[in-house]
Amino acid sequence: MAAKTPEQITDDLLRPLQGASGRYWSFLALFGGIIVAALCAFGWQVYAGIGVAGIRRPVFWGFYITNFVFWIGLSHAGTLISAILRLANATWRRPVTRCAEVITVFALSIGATFPIIHLGRPWLAFWLFPYPSERGIWPNIRSPLLWDFFAINTYLLGSVTFLLLPMIPDMALIRDRASGVRKKIYTAVALGWRGTPKQWHRLESAMQIMAVAVIPVAVSVHSIVSWDFAMAPVPAWHSTIFAPYFVCGAIFSGIAALIIAMALLRKFLHLEDYLLRIHFENLGKLLLVMSLLWFYFVFAERLTVWYGNNPSEMTVFWVTQTGSFSPLFWLMVVCNFVIPFPILAIKKLRTITGCVIASIGVVIGMWLERFLIIVPSLSHKYLPYSFGTYRPTWVEITITAGTFAGMAFLYMIFAKTVPIISIWELKAAPETQSNHAPALAPVTDSGAD
Amino acid sequence: MQRRDFIKITAAGGAAAALEGCGNPDHHLIRFIPEEDLLPGIATWKPSICTLCPAGCGTLVRVMQGEAEVIRNGQLGILKMGLAKKIEGNPAHPINQGKLCPRGHGELQVTYHPDRIKAPLQRTGERGSGQFKEITWDEAIKQLVSQLSGVPGPSRGWWAIITSPLRGQRKTIVDEFAYALHGGHFEFEFFDSALPAVDLGQANYFISFGADFLGTWNSPVAQSISYGHMRKGRPGQRGKFVHFESRISQTAASADEWIPSRPGMDGVLALSLAHVILRDKLRPAGSAGGAAASIDGWTQGLPDFAPEKIEKQTGVPAATITRIAHESAANPPAVVLIGDSAAAHTNAVFSARAVSALNALLGSVGKPGGIAFSPALPMRGSQLLQPKSNLSHMEGPGSASFAMFRDMVTSTSKAPQVLLLHNANPVFGSAQGSQVRDLIAKSGFIASFSRFIDETSALADLILPDHSPLESWLDDALESGSAQTVVSLAPPAMAPLHNTRSMPDVLLDVAQQLGGDVAKRLPWKTYDEALKASFSELYKEKGTKNAKDADDFWSKAQEQGGWWSTDEKPSAPASAKATASPAKYAEPQFDGSANDFPFYFLPFASQMFYDGSLAHLPWMQEAPDPLSSVMWGTWVEINNRTAEKLGVKMGDTLAVASAHGTLQAPALVTPAIAPDVIAMPVGQGHTNYTRYASNRGANPISILAPMSVAGTDSLAWAATRVKISRVGEGRLVMFGASMEETPKDLKHR
Amino acid sequence: MPHQWGMVIDLDRCTGCEACVVACHAENNISTVGEDQAARGRAKHWIRVERYFEGEFPDVKTKFMPVLCQQCDAAPCEPVCPTFASYHTIEGLNGQVYNRCIGTRYCANACPYSVRFFNWYNPEWEKPLNLQLNPDVSLREVGVMEKCTFCVQRIKAGEIQAEAEKREVKDGEIQPACVQSCPTKAMVFGDLSDPDSEVSRLARGNRGIKLLGELGTLPKVTYLQKDSWHGSENA
Repeated sequence: MAAKTPEQITDDLLRPLQGASGRYWSFLALFGGIIVAALCAFGWQVYAGIGVAGIRRPVFWGFYITNFVFWIGLSHAGTLISAILRLANATWRRPVTRCAEVITVFALSIGATFPIIHLGRPWLAFWLFPYPSERGIWPNIRSPLLWDFFAINTYLLGSVTFLLLPMIPDMALIRDRASGVRKKIYTAVALGWRGTPKQWHRLESAMQIMAVAVIPVAVSVHSIVSWDFAMAPVPAWHSTIFAPYFVCGAIFSGIAALIIAMALLRKFLHLEDYLLRIHFENLGKLLLVMSLLWFYFVFAERLTVWYGNNPSEMTVFWVTQTGSFSPLFWLMVVCNFVIPFPILAIKKLRTITGCVIASIGVVIGMWLERFLIIVPSLSHKYLPYSFGTYRPTWVEITITAGTFAGMAFLYMIFAKTVPIISIWELKAAPETQSNHAPALAPVTDSGAD
Repeated sequence: MQRRDFIKITAAGGAAAALEGCGNPDHHLIRFIPEEDLLPGIATWKPSICTLCPAGCGTLVRVMQGEAEVIRNGQLGILKMGLAKKIEGNPAHPINQGKLCPRGHGELQVTYHPDRIKAPLQRTGERGSGQFKEITWDEAIKQLVSQLSGVPGPSRGWWAIITSPLRGQRKTIVDEFAYALHGGHFEFEFFDSALPAVDLGQANYFISFGADFLGTWNSPVAQSISYGHMRKGRPGQRGKFVHFESRISQTAASADEWIPSRPGMDGVLALSLAHVILRDKLRPAGSAGGAAASIDGWTQGLPDFAPEKIEKQTGVPAATITRIAHESAANPPAVVLIGDSAAAHTNAVFSARAVSALNALLGSVGKPGGIAFSPALPMRGSQLLQPKSNLSHMEGPGSASFAMFRDMVTSTSKAPQVLLLHNANPVFGSAQGSQVRDLIAKSGFIASFSRFIDETSALADLILPDHSPLESWLDDALESGSAQTVVSLAPPAMAPLHNTRSMPDVLLDVAQQLGGDVAKRLPWKTYDEALKASFSELYKEKGTKNAKDADDFWSKAQEQGGWWSTDEKPSAPASAKATASPAKYAEPQFDGSANDFPFYFLPFASQMFYDGSLAHLPWMQEAPDPLSSVMWGTWVEINNRTAEKLGVKMGDTLAVASAHGTLQAPALVTPAIAPDVIAMPVGQGHTNYTRYASNRGANPISILAPMSVAGTDSLAWAATRVKISRVGEGRLVMFGASMEETPKDLKHR
Repeated sequence: MPHQWGMVIDLDRCTGCEACVVACHAENNISTVGEDQAARGRAKHWIRVERYFEGEFPDVKTKFMPVLCQQCDAAPCEPVCPTFASYHTIEGLNGQVYNRCIGTRYCANACPYSVRFFNWYNPEWEKPLNLQLNPDVSLREVGVMEKCTFCVQRIKAGEIQAEAEKREVKDGEIQPACVQSCPTKAMVFGDLSDPDSEVSRLARGNRGIKLLGELGTLPKVTYLQKDSWHGSENA
């Protein structure tokens, strides 16, 4: 089959912006409804008191912090794909970068709401901001929560920049084709892009700088999130492995989310010619690597704890291995390793469907992992008299559901207002411009999925 | 004085503004003129007396100015007044020396309880329906006066007043009131208030048979102070404490050795110890003195009580008995206590006499480190509890036991024409309480002085609510807890919050209105007049050394919280009457056959609720029970091996059935109880006792069999057998998650 | 030299009676939460008596241990609070500033002793129980963390009084509510910077241990271990 012409590419990738099906609106309404329910739940929590949630002494953090870590973790998709693959000049990344960067921005925004949602007095959350207050003190810079504040905000700023910069040429493209109100909006967003060589040069330099800058920020963000736990003397929290372990887990969950997002986009926006099996395969291989790395970290951690035989740590160890949390623990291992490993390792199984199944497993497994890091340890600290069990309430469950709905909602809106595949980057690919295209070019894939 | 110093001194009490006014939305309420002049933010400390258990500890009440919403003359408004803020121990008081048990702190909530009866009430609906309307004090007293004139008489039957065991001038007034009007004064309690003072502080060895002396028995604070001293108050010396009981009570938990013994075997064990001491000549011959004659077989060396012979029936190994006997004799002073469940078996009299004899043998009676009785006061107003006697034999003012009242009503089928109730809840606290309820309900006219609606006061036709203790003149003549003579005295710590009246004031008013003999015997207008008169007498007997005159003595006593002797010597009890026949071993009887009811049932006084009278206080409901850590609930203690066999897990609902009733409560699985014993705390299971206690938990008293301690009319509340079955899952609200420091299922391997 | 407040708890004297628990509630305006909230782990006992059983019937030993805020000199709860609500005072106390607390609950997770308690709802006192409130102690609102303060209001009152009278605070003059109430005198409170104070003397004793001392928290409460009987059967 012949390669697509640039006009065909533009048409295909702008088509989603030209209207939505009934099915689209139904799903959007559904997700919107769940979001409203979550907002009501939060409103109720602020009104009645945070006691409506299930958290208690000694498990003072539960679903909310699980969600916080999970969503911040998920946001590492964009960084890896975009930044690292850009720097490595991996050309197959081109259709994938914007999908990933969008996940980052939205997941990060969702994750960043949780430090407010989980507060006892959320109306005072602004005290985390360093301003000269009438109380005469600055926030406590020794607190990992303050590090979170700076790191997440920096990363958010960086990710938004990283997303918006390469969007500019595509915004200009739409501007040039649009009319009326739409033209006005896209003109504003296009920031006067004319496509001059000077502008292209500036864009490329900026992207290069951002790609380099955003990687350490991303690594630091999840290291800092992990230090929320590691800096406290709680059994099985206070571990030196936490920073790399969390970063690995974040990238792991991020790739899985990306695969799922791509699969959904491919199906619903008819992007079969652009999101090819090879993309899924490559990401699948990365996912496999992360799965192995994740397993390695978990194994190393647990082996060390077991050898150390510290009583408090062993209590937490057994309670996850064979005790009350063991069903969740083993489910997590199945979801994160037992299912993904064969699927991703065996080429025959590493199809798009296979990758999606593995990824769904990973997303579930990683959510469980965050939960299992937080709750069993807090339930079993040092003094058995003060152990306690945690049960989430409808408030926490609704808000959690609201975050997933929120992610889907935001993503769906984005996909209808901005081309989800970066048009100019795709066109700029050398493979697109020549006829002897390697398999990375957007041709109709001969191997059916 | 510098202004700065003045501010510092006045700021010493704390914040300048009282917090009560803040957040009060009813600022449009009228303000009453304050009747007291207090500096805001400055606390004054007033002595008072704790009335929640028989110990009678002296307290200091912190009083600060605050604003209270009160009703005066039917009008709701705000009154600035002195408010009690905290109750603490009075350091000067000889019983508790500045210390206080958790219940004493809780007494504050009696005054401020939202469900207190705020004005006299008259029944409007059916008796027991709980429908009342408020009336004035004049109306209420008028009703009482008219009911009491003309009783007793051929057409009007007899009358009675049921109270808790009273002491001091309250007892005098009630006794005299009843006697002068030819009525009966009956005293009700579930846990017997015991008598002897125990000098644990100097003891080197002491043995307790069942007595929860660190928690609820006798004078727990005084005993705890001594216990602490006995442990670590004497450098180089540390006493040993051995506790015999079939479960680990709060006191047993502090023992060096907890020896599980079969129920009802305490006397046997005491005599076995005595046997070893006699056999091995560990004490000089004749040490037991007159006590020897009180036990059958003593002079022969108590052959039936050799440790090997009683091993099987008591469950205690012979070697243990022998060793304990040797240890006790080798480490004087040694003292033995018996109380609580050990004193609630059918053979309790035998056991008590056995322990008495053992104490005599160990040389602990009347000596430092041993047992003594608080010196008795010669004058009126300090009467010891009269021996429980038949009403018809009473030749002077006095009281009889509630059991007597119950017998009289059932045997004559004649309920009293008029029944007065004060500070007693026999419907809740009696075995077969529903029978008691029916019995009381047959009375012609029932008036209660209760501060709260409870199971018994709900039956009243007229309620004349008493002040709370902090609002009352209080006095106490103590029988235990100190080697000194103690007469406590306290004016009210604060003015009454509600439209209540002091019970003795009401009786005095009624007496004056009735006239005749009763008015002559009770010539005072108010209770403090009566107290002053009795202190006048006390001054003449004892006080001339410490005060100029009776008035001075009276003021000093009020300031201090009472009067206590400084040079009294503890007295030894009267030697055993020669007429009493030597005590012979009596096997403890149990209601229910061992086949049908395989478990011994052991109710016990709970640390927070005592006998249930404190279950209405929220602090006590939320405080975790010391051993179970249960809050807001009731539990059934069951041995963990037994539970495993029966498939019972922690928190499962159990049905506990005796031959007299069934109850349901969650199971507390614990290693600290014998496998064939089931125990339950007393205190919950109220059906009607304010919002905090009503319909909460189960009342173990409700399934007790009406067994008596042989030779007395006391309830043998440890003599019931039960069977249990698992009903299903349940809920236990516990503050502590683990019974063990290293939970077995989580031990690292 | 500023006072350094500390405490000694003699486990050989403690009988688990919980007078300290109720005294603390009364002194510090701790609200009761009711049965349902207590079942959900929201009861606030600033001092609690931990009870542990050891062994199987009939050889069962019981251990009581009153646990309260240890006012650690290297408190793990202090570095983690983003708003300095948990901070160390110059007198060695771990101060909890209610007004600064935004309720992240990080401090409670970090505390190895589980002695921090959270206000999950606005505390309520059904009238007229509100009249029992101690005017010297602030009321806490929903979302705020609270814990034992060593009755700082009594410490401050004692120090102000002593200064007004131009003298030093006497040893044993200031007592938190729990110490004051303990019938067996198991609890002793005083100035650890004064080597002659009773608390210093007892803390130096050979039965003294620190709870979870191996974690490096430098707690200011010294527990004197339960002793055993040193007598024998022979006179």
